[in-house]
Amino acid sequence: MSKRFVTLLILSLVLLSIVPFAVAQDAPAKPKIGFLPGVVDPFYQVMEIGVNEAVADFGLEVVTQYPQTWGPSVQTPILEAMIARGDLDYLITAPTDKEQMIAPLQAALDAGVKIITVDTFLGDGDYVNGPVTFPISYIGSDNIEGGRIAARALAEVLGGKGKVYIQNTNVGVSTTEQRGQGFKEGIAEFPDMELVGEDYNLDDANTSVEQTAAKLQAVPDLAGIFGVNVFSAYGAGNAVKAAGLEGKVQVIAFDATADAIQNLRDGVVTLVIAQKPHDMGYLAVAFAMADWRGVTSIPKHVTTGYAVINAENVDDPEVAKFIYQVPGQ
Amino acid sequence: MAAESQPLAVPAEKSNRQKQVILAVSRLWAWVFLVGLILFFTITVFSTSGGDVNFLTVRNSQNILMAITPVLLMGLGQTFVIIAGGIDLSVGWVMGLASVISALVIADFTNNRGMAETLAIPLGFGVGILSAAIPGFINGLIIAKLSIPPFIVTLGMSFIARGISLLLSGGNVVIGQPPGVRAFGNESLFYLISGEGGGLFFLNRPNVTGEVLQRLDRILPWPVVVAAIVTAVLLFVLHKTQFGRHTYAIGGNREAALRAGVPVDRHVIMLYTLSGITVGFAGVLHTARFNGGSSIAGDPLMLSSIAAVIIGGVSMFGGHGSVAGTVIGALIIAVLTTGLVMLNVLPFYQFVVVGIVVILAVLIDQARDLIIGRIESH
Amino acid sequence: MEPILSARNIVKRFGGLTAVNQVSLDVYPGEVVGLVGDNAAGKSTLIKCISGVYQPEEGEVYFQGQRVHFARPIDARKAGIETIYQDLALAGNLNVPANIFLGREIKKAYLGGVVHTLDEDTMLRESDKLLKDLEIRFPSLHMQIDKLSGGQRQAVAIARAMYWNARFIIMDEPTNNLGVVEQRKVLELIRRLKAQNVPVILISHTLPDVFAVTDRIVVMHRGRKVTEKRTADTNSEEIVRYMVGALDDTRATA
Repeated sequence: MSKRFVTLLILSLVLLSIVPFAVAQDAPAKPKIGFLPGVVDPFYQVMEIGVNEAVADFGLEVVTQYPQTWGPSVQTPILEAMIARGDLDYLITAPTDKEQMIAPLQAALDAGVKIITVDTFLGDGDYVNGPVTFPISYIGSDNIEGGRIAARALAEVLGGKGKVYIQNTNVGVSTTEQRGQGFKEGIAEFPDMELVGEDYNLDDANTSVEQTAAKLQAVPDLAGIFGVNVFSAYGAGNAVKAAGLEGKVQVIAFDATADAIQNLRDGVVTLVIAQKPHDMGYLAVAFAMADWRGVTSIPKHVTTGYAVINAENVDDPEVAKFIYQVPGQ
Repeated sequence: MAAESQPLAVPAEKSNRQKQVILAVSRLWAWVFLVGLILFFTITVFSTSGGDVNFLTVRNSQNILMAITPVLLMGLGQTFVIIAGGIDLSVGWVMGLASVISALVIADFTNNRGMAETLAIPLGFGVGILSAAIPGFINGLIIAKLSIPPFIVTLGMSFIARGISLLLSGGNVVIGQPPGVRAFGNESLFYLISGEGGGLFFLNRPNVTGEVLQRLDRILPWPVVVAAIVTAVLLFVLHKTQFGRHTYAIGGNREAALRAGVPVDRHVIMLYTLSGITVGFAGVLHTARFNGGSSIAGDPLMLSSIAAVIIGGVSMFGGHGSVAGTVIGALIIAVLTTGLVMLNVLPFYQFVVVGIVVILAVLIDQARDLIIGRIESH
Repeated sequence: MEPILSARNIVKRFGGLTAVNQVSLDVYPGEVVGLVGDNAAGKSTLIKCISGVYQPEEGEVYFQGQRVHFARPIDARKAGIETIYQDLALAGNLNVPANIFLGREIKKAYLGGVVHTLDEDTMLRESDKLLKDLEIRFPSLHMQIDKLSGGQRQAVAIARAMYWNARFIIMDEPTNNLGVVEQRKVLELIRRLKAQNVPVILISHTLPDVFAVTDRIVVMHRGRKVTEKRTADTNSEEIVRYMVGALDDTRATA
């Protein structure tokens, strides 16, 4: 077996390693874009719509791939396969870890693919003075501000007092970490409000339901919950629903998914904070195009703002357009 | 059994030859499938991209080798465990534990204790691997001595490892690694610059920038070298040593091994410890490659690693399988992922294909036994 | 002549049930003794008390003149008593030499004894020689045990026992599930063992087999030894009557 194994191994390696014939290429007139979100979910799917619109507007080509689960172990092999294509000029990506994705994305840059990060960032997100400066730009929500908006809105509903709880995803993910941080800062503005805990559901909706249910039992007078992203809000909302506490426990949902909006209509969720993933996707492509054309003053950091959706304005077309709706779903 | 028709004497030459052919097919189909996949992607990737994209490139070969490293390392220990009739479901989170602990040790000794990184990194990696060997040892001890099914014990251990690694890291990625960590995870044995002004470089990365840097390929990155050494050692151990022989014997007939004087309990403990060690290698290599320790490093890869083992021909009933098979299984999965991404097909199709291949692998095994059984009874 | 194996007044109880009740049994060098009885007569339990699987509550076992206590089966094997069980205790996924040498593999040392590999060549050669001595032929010794016929497996099990210098062999239903031709081969093997002066206890349901190879027959019924006859002095009709309890020497003498 072993002799045959060695022979076949060598054969496979040789086969894999054959240097392809060089294809003479003129510099193409337009850049080719790669889009690699963090994980498959409606937020990124709406972002993809923005990317695709911009790509169509500029007459470009795009290659899109979704990791099935969140994390560098899954995102990196996909990233490397995209880079191995050899035909991409720009990569628009949401790094699944601000530290761990530095080396793989640096390698992508070394291979000649420029990086724009959307939604999440590398290092501390400051691409001017921070530890990581190689990406062209970071386009995302101001997540600290998003957290503060959530806290203030919750305080308003609760009359500035009560116990609150955070459903978070993973520590180490820049965006959700900052939302949690912003929320805490916001709550601190109200002396009669108390944060009773923060749990990490590892971006798993079932875990989120479990943790929230446990918290509802442990803290009977819990007044409000902040779900920091799609799955966290889904879990928190559904746990409250399952416990029959709709209206008694206020849930602030970050991210305007169909589920969050349904919960809003059902009265489970008090407020939905919508990011603008569509704008992030569109802007990222526009920045890539600008860089290609030689623009040198591309902002290193752009925040895309929020829309706050509640039961009153949810049917207003001007607000409803911020709901993450993926055609065909 | 059709015993009446079976003399002790030699069966006909012809049916023997048929058997050889079928055995060869059942043993080699995975290789053929892999080569077929590579050819398929080479042609389709090239043609669908209008000739812009090549699947068979140096860079891609190295990507695939890097991609299989953690899956393979997790699968290698698992190969031994499953051949002996067990299963280790703790590999995912134990890998995270090893990653977190190695990163914590390295960060602490370099940043707080002033140890040189040339010492701190091997120390951290050693402690990381040990931290994965211990849960493996405990798994083996409970399975052997208390006769609790491996499925239950290792599932429990999976949760324990998950909890401990999250507690130790606070759920954070453990950062603060000295530069040598990232270098070990991302630099390579050789460097190749193709085209003009190029060449092959050994150990030292040529200091190039810009367009030349784009043509720089890393050949045999250190994690791949480590995985290759571990694979070679385990190939030897499984197929050439008494340890390997006893592993097969326990999976084939535990009672027989016991009666023949094989120290079954001790061996089972060693098998799960071995699984922990290979997973530990995967964990510390994650730390190196991603420049930090992460408790979620291994969990998304666990099912792929078990799939690789099954595709490689390891029977879930124990007794059959090989190290080479697991290498092929891991390669098939990685080639699929990379190929589909390069074809610009959503990688979710990968799951469908891997699922089919897993089932196919088992079917081929059963068909082989069926056909050979028929030949023998004629 | 001294018996090579002597079990005296063996008693084994499982809870309230006395599986073996005051049974004594002597086996002399070069002798084949048949142990027969209906299901649950206590044959297997008695054998397990001798081979170290069970510890008898009462009674003694002497082997080659020495009082012996076998705490585990491996102790009995070390003393030279090999038991070939019904299920054969072979690893079906391993080939012939691997089974013959299982647990006692021959190894080669490298690097001053740091690394040991299996010495497959020597094990193969030894197996080949051994099987030739027993006049057993195989298509290939590389075949997995699973792919061999029942008789071939039996031969491997016997060969294994022989290789490890068994001085006494206990066989539990060796011809069960075998075809006629194979049964005959196994019986030939037993005769060959006898010729090599290795005593055998043969447990079997198949009386023609027992009559074909044994020197003496011991019959058990409900845990007791009801008779012991020289094979030449009895016939299967008589033995059957003992087996079903219609005849009982202990009752007659009581």
